[in-house]
Amino acid sequence: MTKTPQIMVIASLLTTLLGVLEILAPSGGVYLGGYVRLDATSRLFALVVNPIFLGISFYIWNRITTTPVLAEGMRRFGWFALIFLGAANVVLVANHLLVLWIALEVTTLAAAPLIVRAGVPASRQASWRYLLFSSVGLGLVLVGFQCLSRSLSADGHPASYFVDQLPELVREPANAWRKLGLALVLLGIGTKLGLAPMYSWLPEAYDEAPPAVTALLAAVQFNCALVVLFRVVQIYRPGNTALVGGVLLAMGTISMVVSTVSIIATRNMKRLIAYASINHAGVIAIGLGVGKAASFGLLLYVISNAFIKAILFLTAGNIKAHYKTKDTRKISGLVRDLPYSGVFLMVGTFALLGFPPFGSFVGELLILSALISSGQMLVFAAFCVLITMTFVATGRTIFPMIWGEPKEKHDWPRQTFWPSSPKIFFLVALIALGIYLPPVVSDLIHEVATSLEGR
Amino acid sequence: MVPLFVSSWRLSLAGLALQGLLTAWIAYRMEGSPESAGAWLTLFDLILIRGVGAPLLLYGVLHAKKAPARNDIIPPNLLSWTLALGIVLVSFNFSEVLTPEDGDPQTLVAVATAGLLLGFLVLATQSDPFSQMIGALRIENSIALFELGGPRDQPIDSTEAFFLQLGQVLVVLTTVGLYRWYLARLPGADGKPVEPTLEGPAL
Repeated sequence: MTKTPQIMVIASLLTTLLGVLEILAPSGGVYLGGYVRLDATSRLFALVVNPIFLGISFYIWNRITTTPVLAEGMRRFGWFALIFLGAANVVLVANHLLVLWIALEVTTLAAAPLIVRAGVPASRQASWRYLLFSSVGLGLVLVGFQCLSRSLSADGHPASYFVDQLPELVREPANAWRKLGLALVLLGIGTKLGLAPMYSWLPEAYDEAPPAVTALLAAVQFNCALVVLFRVVQIYRPGNTALVGGVLLAMGTISMVVSTVSIIATRNMKRLIAYASINHAGVIAIGLGVGKAASFGLLLYVISNAFIKAILFLTAGNIKAHYKTKDTRKISGLVRDLPYSGVFLMVGTFALLGFPPFGSFVGELLILSALISSGQMLVFAAFCVLITMTFVATGRTIFPMIWGEPKEKHDWPRQTFWPSSPKIFFLVALIALGIYLPPVVSDLIHEVATSLEGR
Repeated sequence: MVPLFVSSWRLSLAGLALQGLLTAWIAYRMEGSPESAGAWLTLFDLILIRGVGAPLLLYGVLHAKKAPARNDIIPPNLLSWTLALGIVLVSFNFSEVLTPEDGDPQTLVAVATAGLLLGFLVLATQSDPFSQMIGALRIENSIALFELGGPRDQPIDSTEAFFLQLGQVLVVLTTVGLYRWYLARLPGADGKPVEPTLEGPAL
């Protein structure tokens, strides 16, 4: 029996413990010649990304135990997953834009082979599209960083890529290099986040990848890319509010439109959650674009979503493994056939749709209120209409799967607690986020929200 | 530009190699003979990986697959040719706005921008993996060219600069390796579809 899942659990347990220990380190402390910095953003996301990786590792361990045939190729999978985990943590703590870029590229290069499933050509195609779009998106980010560096030279400053030094150097009004650089960086990171216009890789990759890998992409890598976007916003928003806000609002609104249309049209369970992820990325872009009061809500929304996506994609994988289909019309009566999966899908969908008491509810409410207070009435109206349409379309597709009459009688063994424990852990974290935030987490969120305003 | 217009995968690869080698020559002209490990690494990246390695690896796969000689990188029609020429003109005008002083820096920005946009044109018009790889690698090469003229935050002979450069080179090397892997396994360049096998359980 392969020991790889156990190694993955131990490695992610260690990074989770390190994430917890980071809270004790002085805020903003720099290490390793200034290349590593433990600020509120890195500490907050280390507390999100590492426990999710740990939960996914437990899930993989259980899958290997219950389905031994999956142990084949696990060694290779484990290596790529561990490289992915290491690079993800480097993204969180890096204090240098080029180091950030290299680490994000490494997560991409490690994740691409994980998408491929033996004997499934469509997964190879999806993996290729993922790699292609990511390479191009990250290429744009690199050109953007180069342009931003040239903008410093044009203003007579020395070039710098250090995140903690840059805010002092970019106080002058933006020159042409900076405007171009910011637009390219936002477009490039938008591609990694699955934002319009370059989002088409996401539904395909999320659909074709094994569920554990989809959860890694949606809950771990998404947040790493988001940290890069946060770094850029923290540095450049103060002098370029209109440009940063305008681009993010436009990308966010268009992403919500395309994802809503796709949610209405699709009958594929995993694609539906994938389109919902694009929708969420759109909400996050809008929240980040409007800034101010939305920042706290935005962060609550981001953290809640990481857990929601991990729950939903892992549950979707379990449902597909039993019903052998992703077609939502062929799945019915989940609460009776697979009680744990039915409950996870139900609670995950409620959280996905922004029901109280989940953090996503408070997050959306704060973003909407910030849209009104900043006078973005058109975006506000579009947001409300699109969220309502998403709500109806998702409910229409998912709820019959959960509560409908079973179409066939199945003799599946009764679901037990242990295999579902990672999802229960995610669910507890998700509910806790909506009901009670420990002061340490709340303070961290406030600190990150303040930094997003460039303060 | 010319190899993009000729419908042959061999010439497309030759064009890619030429782009890498020309970038290496420009690097040599700008920085002189390499005296630091960082400068040697730049030349290694441009000559051995981008100029020779990447085209040779892809050539090996297509040759083994006995791919048909014809392969359009840019669709052979008047609209695509006009767009390609327009991109070059726009790039030169664009570089005048960004870099007002005439001279090498302005030309470098113009050529890098043209390369980047032509790469995007290829990606926007092609759906087969080989053409997409050519487009993506041309974009990567243009970024390397653009980097050459940019300011550095560390002296080129510093240890930090070397490790940053090494990180970027390893990323390019792995990307090229993965491209080769996909080209060998994806349907497209040889026109033969891959037979699906029975889908088993997934993680």
